[in-house]
Amino acid sequence: MPRMILTGSIREHAGGLGTIDVGGETAAAAIARLEASYPALRGWIVDEQGALRRHVRLFMKGEAITLAAPVGPGDELFVVAAISGG
Amino acid sequence: MTELLVGTKKGLMVLRGRRGGPFEILTRAFPGEVVEFATRDQRGGRYFAAVTHGQFGPHLFYADDPTQKWEQAEGPAFPAAAGAAVERIWVVEAGVEDGVLWCGVAPAALFRSGDGGRSWALVEGLWNVPERPKWEGGAGGLCLHSICPWPGDASRLAVGVSSAGVWLTDDAGKSWRRSVAGLVPRYLPEEARKDTHAYCVHNMQRAPRQPNTLYMQFHGGVYRSDDGGESWNDIGSDRGLPSDFGFPLVIDPHDPDSAFVIPLKADADRVTPDGRVRVYETRDRGSTWTARADGLPRSQAYLTVLRQAFCSDGGKPLGLYFGATSGDVFGSADGGRTWASVATHLPPVASMRCA
Repeated sequence: MPRMILTGSIREHAGGLGTIDVGGETAAAAIARLEASYPALRGWIVDEQGALRRHVRLFMKGEAITLAAPVGPGDELFVVAAISGG
Repeated sequence: MTELLVGTKKGLMVLRGRRGGPFEILTRAFPGEVVEFATRDQRGGRYFAAVTHGQFGPHLFYADDPTQKWEQAEGPAFPAAAGAAVERIWVVEAGVEDGVLWCGVAPAALFRSGDGGRSWALVEGLWNVPERPKWEGGAGGLCLHSICPWPGDASRLAVGVSSAGVWLTDDAGKSWRRSVAGLVPRYLPEEARKDTHAYCVHNMQRAPRQPNTLYMQFHGGVYRSDDGGESWNDIGSDRGLPSDFGFPLVIDPHDPDSAFVIPLKADADRVTPDGRVRVYETRDRGSTWTARADGLPRSQAYLTVLRQAFCSDGGKPLGLYFGATSGDVFGSADGGRTWASVATHLPPVASMRCA
């Protein structure tokens, strides 16, 4: 089962957890499982059409991945917000 | 005591103080995040805050006590078939029926809540008007920013869209028609005006005691409607206003003949004209406008006051409050005759409402 790693303030919408085991065979499916478990996260990582937020990136094994990327047991999927703003 | 909800670029500031004097910050919510708009439903007392997180997008929150935990609403969010995503939440307005609220967003759409703001559904009738593919946004994006319910009649509603004009419904949102008769888009070349869809409404408010009366700050000009928004009359030209451009607009809820605007110099220079901060008042339905500046900065003051950053407290005499992107907040406890500083050194102010 892949594992989601949440960084920064978004953790508060997952009950304060930073590491959450989820199911799913793609990054998109893993995020959907995460949202199902933590409805307060809906719309934060991906918008209501399932598109990744513009300033959010997904990383796995040190590489940026897309929502379509396959994920498998033991994989750690990092949700990282851009360091930007004003 | 008066409570002000100040949406800023760095959080929601809840200010509390006595009318006419300086206010203190009661609490700061959503630190570091952009609070585009905040308001309170006067019927049940619930607070709402539209928050745009820099990385994680726009979200609507509500609370019964702004100093305690805020809950995230379910939506507003577009259904899959709409193929769109909310970019910004511009306004939340109480409806007529119990538990009904309306929410305007970008891209220009209207959402309805029937459960006191906990969950929201797209108003499909407006989303699906045939003209929508021709709608274009202004500098602030294609947004629905003004919502005017009709007191006592839940079926009637007027909304303002930048820059797609005024839209009216008489059947609680099922069907809509555009109503721009009388509006002159002077920002377009004359030959382009006839068939344009680009009616850049900046702000629109309805007089609660005379619902047929609405006032509008247009991209160029100030207008009044005497027929519920069906048609519009120019009340901004050559009547005492220093410019025809601006965003903020307040109606005296006790007097449908009275309204207030805060003109900015021009679309290409969005600051208070001549380095002077002035609120302009009409007491005769827009026949004449008079500057109200006693207590406001008189020189070297180039403020920008955004669309939602001006409000009244509904009191008698009327309390008025506005905030600028400079972080200055000003208030009047006597219907605009005199003004005083309410707060300084806040982050840029995006919205202002009395709780």
